[in-house]
Amino acid sequence: MARATAERQPAATGTALVVMVGLGVTFLLFMAFLNVVKSGNLLNESNLLYASLIFYAGAGTLYLGFGVTGIPSYVRFASLATWAGLAANTGAIAHRWYEAGHPPFASIYEMLLSFVWTLAVLTLVAEKRYGVKVIGTITMPVAIVGVVLMQLLRTDVHPLVPALQSTWLHVHVTLAMLAYAACALSFALAMMFLIQDKMTTETFLAASSLFTAATYAGILTRFEKWGGLSVVAWNTEEKSEVFLSKGVRLFVVIPDLGWLMAIVLLAVAAPLVFYVIWRKTRDGRCVEMANRAVFIGILLQALALIFFLLRARSGQYGSLDADGVFTTSLAASPFILTGLVGGIFVSLLYLLLLWRRQDLERMLPSADELDRITYRTIAIAFPLLTLMIAAGAYWANRTWGSYWSWDPKETWAAITWLVYAGYLHMRITRGWRGRRAAYFAILGFAVVMFTFFGVTYLLPGLHSYA
Amino acid sequence: MVADIQSAVRKFWQTLGAIKTGVVLLIAVVIVSAAGTVILQRPATDADDLQRAYSPQMLRLLDALGLTNVFHAWWFVLLLVLVSASIIAASIQRFPNSWRYFSRPYKSPDDTFRKAAAMQAEIAIPDEETGLAAAERAFQRAGLKSERLVRENSFSLFAERFRISELAVYIVHASLLLIFFGGIVDALYSWSGFVALSRGESSSQIELRNGTTRSLPFSIRCDAAGEEKYADGTPKRWWSKLAVVDAGRDVLQKEIVVNDPLVYHGVRFYQASYGNTGKVEQLTLAAAPTDGRTASKEIRLALSDTVALDADTSVRFAEFIPDYVVADGQIYARSSQVENPAVHLVMESKKSGRSVDVWLPAIAGFEQSASSPYQFKARDLQLGYFTGLQVSHEPGQWAVWAGVILMGFGLAAVFYLVHARCWAVPVRNRRGQMVLWLGGTANRNRDSFEQRFQRLVEEIESEVKLRSATQQVEAQATSMAAR
Repeated sequence: MARATAERQPAATGTALVVMVGLGVTFLLFMAFLNVVKSGNLLNESNLLYASLIFYAGAGTLYLGFGVTGIPSYVRFASLATWAGLAANTGAIAHRWYEAGHPPFASIYEMLLSFVWTLAVLTLVAEKRYGVKVIGTITMPVAIVGVVLMQLLRTDVHPLVPALQSTWLHVHVTLAMLAYAACALSFALAMMFLIQDKMTTETFLAASSLFTAATYAGILTRFEKWGGLSVVAWNTEEKSEVFLSKGVRLFVVIPDLGWLMAIVLLAVAAPLVFYVIWRKTRDGRCVEMANRAVFIGILLQALALIFFLLRARSGQYGSLDADGVFTTSLAASPFILTGLVGGIFVSLLYLLLLWRRQDLERMLPSADELDRITYRTIAIAFPLLTLMIAAGAYWANRTWGSYWSWDPKETWAAITWLVYAGYLHMRITRGWRGRRAAYFAILGFAVVMFTFFGVTYLLPGLHSYA
Repeated sequence: MVADIQSAVRKFWQTLGAIKTGVVLLIAVVIVSAAGTVILQRPATDADDLQRAYSPQMLRLLDALGLTNVFHAWWFVLLLVLVSASIIAASIQRFPNSWRYFSRPYKSPDDTFRKAAAMQAEIAIPDEETGLAAAERAFQRAGLKSERLVRENSFSLFAERFRISELAVYIVHASLLLIFFGGIVDALYSWSGFVALSRGESSSQIELRNGTTRSLPFSIRCDAAGEEKYADGTPKRWWSKLAVVDAGRDVLQKEIVVNDPLVYHGVRFYQASYGNTGKVEQLTLAAAPTDGRTASKEIRLALSDTVALDADTSVRFAEFIPDYVVADGQIYARSSQVENPAVHLVMESKKSGRSVDVWLPAIAGFEQSASSPYQFKARDLQLGYFTGLQVSHEPGQWAVWAGVILMGFGLAAVFYLVHARCWAVPVRNRRGQMVLWLGGTANRNRDSFEQRFQRLVEEIESEVKLRSATQQVEAQATSMAAR
C-alpha cells in the first residue's frame, strides 16, 4: 500500500522540494556575495563562515536530494561539500583563535563555532565508519541553523575577563561541545531508528505538526495588542540587548507580524487536527488533506520567515514600556529565528519522509543496527557529560570558591546527566530497546538543547558569559 | 505479628532497592531542580526583586513551601538522602550475586550449560591436545587470559578478560555516594565569606554570606595588590601578594590571581575583586601665590593633614567627596563610587585667624576667591585600593573530587571494559567423533562479541586443520620411513 502511494506520487513534487531548497541556497549565496563585496578582504573570518554556511547548506541540499531521488552520487558530493564546509569552519576557528589569542570558547558565538565543527566531524564519522549515509539530512540543518545564528551573534574579539582565564575552562567547554555533539548525533540516529522501526508516516505527521505548532505557540507568547509581535530592542553600537533595569529587557513591538504568526500557527496546527479526525474516523481523505495542509504550512512558514527577516533585520519601532522609538535587529531575536528556520526544516523532513520513505528505508542501516549505534553514541556522550560537569565544577571551585552553587546552567547540566543516566539504567537493567529507548534519546537531546540555549537566554545565572 | 513487621520491613527494603523506585526518585529530583531554576531563588535574588516578581500571597506560598530556596530546603535534602538510600539498597541487593560471579567464575561448563549456551560451536579435532593447544593460542591472541582445568580424565580450557567489569557499576554507585557524602558534609560544615584588605592591612575577621562574622585562628595580610587592564579598559588580571600570619609569624606567602587561590589549613583565599576604597591615599597639589612673588610649590597631603605654605598660611585637606552633587547651594556626596570626585581644602591664616574654603575642581558657586593668598591646582589623586578576597572552607570537597575520579574510572569500566568469557571442552559428539566444544559470553555489547567469537572459531578451526594435515604428512612420512 505504502509502496503504491510512493509510486503514485509524481516525480515533479520531489523536484519542487529540491527547487525550494535550491532557492534557499541561492539566497544564501547572494547574501554571501553581498558580504564579500562589502568587506573587500577575501580570507577573513566572516567570509570563511559564509563559505562554511554555503557548503553546509549545499551538503544539506544534496543529502535531501539523495533522500528524494536516491541517486548515490549525491551522497558522494554531499560528503565532499561537508568536507569543504568543515575546512572553512576550521579556518574560521583558527582565524578566531589566532586573533583572540585563546581557544574559541569564551562566548556563545565561539561555542557555536566549535559545536558546529564537532557536529560536522561526527557526521562524517557516522557516515564513513558506521555507514549511516543520510545522517546529514538531520545534522546538516542543525549545523546550518548554528551557522546562521553565528552570523547574528558574531561579536568582536573580546579579551577574556579574569574569571575565564583558565585551562580548566577550555577543558570544560571542549568536553561540553563533544558531549553535546554526540547527543545531537544520538538524536538523529534515534529519529532514523523510528523510521526503520516502521513507525507510521502519520505519526511523524502528527509529531512534526505538533513541533511546529508548539514553536509558533511559543513565538506567539510575544503577541501584543492589535496584532503586534514584541521583540527585544537592540543597541547596534554596543551590540547588546537594551535593558530597562538589571535583568529587564526592553521590548519593541513590530506591528502586524503577530497576526501573520497566528495565521501560520493555524496552518501548521491543521495537520494535527486532521490527524486526530483520521484517528477517529480512519478516513483516508483526512490524511490527504493533512499532507496538503503541510505543504501550505511550509509556504506560509517561508512567508513568515521572509517577513520576519525583512522587518526585524533593522528598523525602528515603538515600545509599550518606554517612550520613543528603538531599533531592533535579528541578533536580538535568535530564538524566534531558530524557531522559524527549525519549523521549516522539520516540515521539509516530513515531506521527504512522505515521498521517499521506501528509498530512505532501503538506504538506512537496519533498525537493530541503528538502535545499537544510538546506544553506543550515548555510551560516548555520557562519560563526556560526566567529565564536562566535573571539569566545570573544578573550575568553579578555583574561581568562585565553590564547586557547586546550583546556578541554573549547573542544575540543567545535572538534569541532562540524570536523564541520560535514566536511559542507561532502563536499557541495561530493564532491557529497554527500540522505541522506548529512542524516545528517551530524543528527550535527552531536547534537554541538552534547553541547557545550551534556553538556560542562557531564559534563566539568569553565573554563566552569563555564555 | 513479628512476622508481619519482618515481612513489611523486607518489602520496604525490596521496594527501596527496586529500579522503579530509583527512576521515580530521579524524576522527582529532575522536576524539583528544574523548578528551582525557573522560580527565583532566595540568596541569589534580592528580596526587592522577589517582591516585584511575585504577588505577596504567591511569595508567602512559595516561601512556605520552600520553593524560593529549593536547593537548601529540608525536603530537597531528604530527597537526595532517599536517592542515596535507594542506590545503597539496590547495590546491596544486587551485589552478592555479582560478587559470586566475580569471585567464583564458572570455569568448567557441564552438559546443561553446554546445551543452553547462546554462542557455541563445535570443531572436529584429531585429538584433545591439538584442539586445546590451538584454542589456547587463539584465546591468547585475542587478549584473553586462559587456564587449563582438570576434568575427570582430560583437560578443558577457560579464558576470560576484564572480569572487573562485573563490579564496575558498583564503583560508579560508590563514587556517586562519595560525591553525595562530600556534598552533605559541605552543606553542614562549609562556610564562605568575603574580606577586603587594602595594602598593608591584615585581618582575621571574615564577613560571612549570612551577615555574621567569623574569626580565623590566624590572620591574612595583603602586602601588595594590583590590576592590569586591556587597552579597552576591561580588567585583564588581578593579583594580590598575601601572607598568612599565624602566632605572630609569617608562615606562608603567595601571590594569588583569579583561578589560583591560596590555601592554608583548609581555608581558601580567592582573588575575587579589586577596586578603590573610595578614600584618598595621597593628594598632590600645586600651590601658587596669588601675588606671584615666589614660584609655585608642590605639596602632598593625606586626608586631614595640614601643611604650612609660609610662615602665616597653612592648608588642611578637610574632606574628600568621591561623587559630588550640588543641590540647594550645598555640596553632597551622591555615592561612594569615585566617579565625580571633589576635594575640600581649608586654608587658615594664623595672624588673622581667618579660614577660606577651597574646592577642587572649581565648582560653580564655590570658586576660589581671587583675594586668597594662594591658588591651588590638583596635580594627582592617589586613591586607596583594596583587594577583595573570597574566603571559603569546604571540608567535604576532597570526598567530592575523589568521587569524581572514581566515577571516571567506573564509567570507563562500565562502558569500555567487556567481561568476555570463553570455554573450550574436548568432547565426543553423538556420532562418537572427537570434537572441541567452544562457548562464549560477554556481559555487554553481545553483537560485536558474537562477531569476535565467530572469528575465534574460524581461527581455531583453520589451525586445527593445518595441524592435523601436518600430522598426517608426518605420519605418512614415518610410515614411509618404516617401510
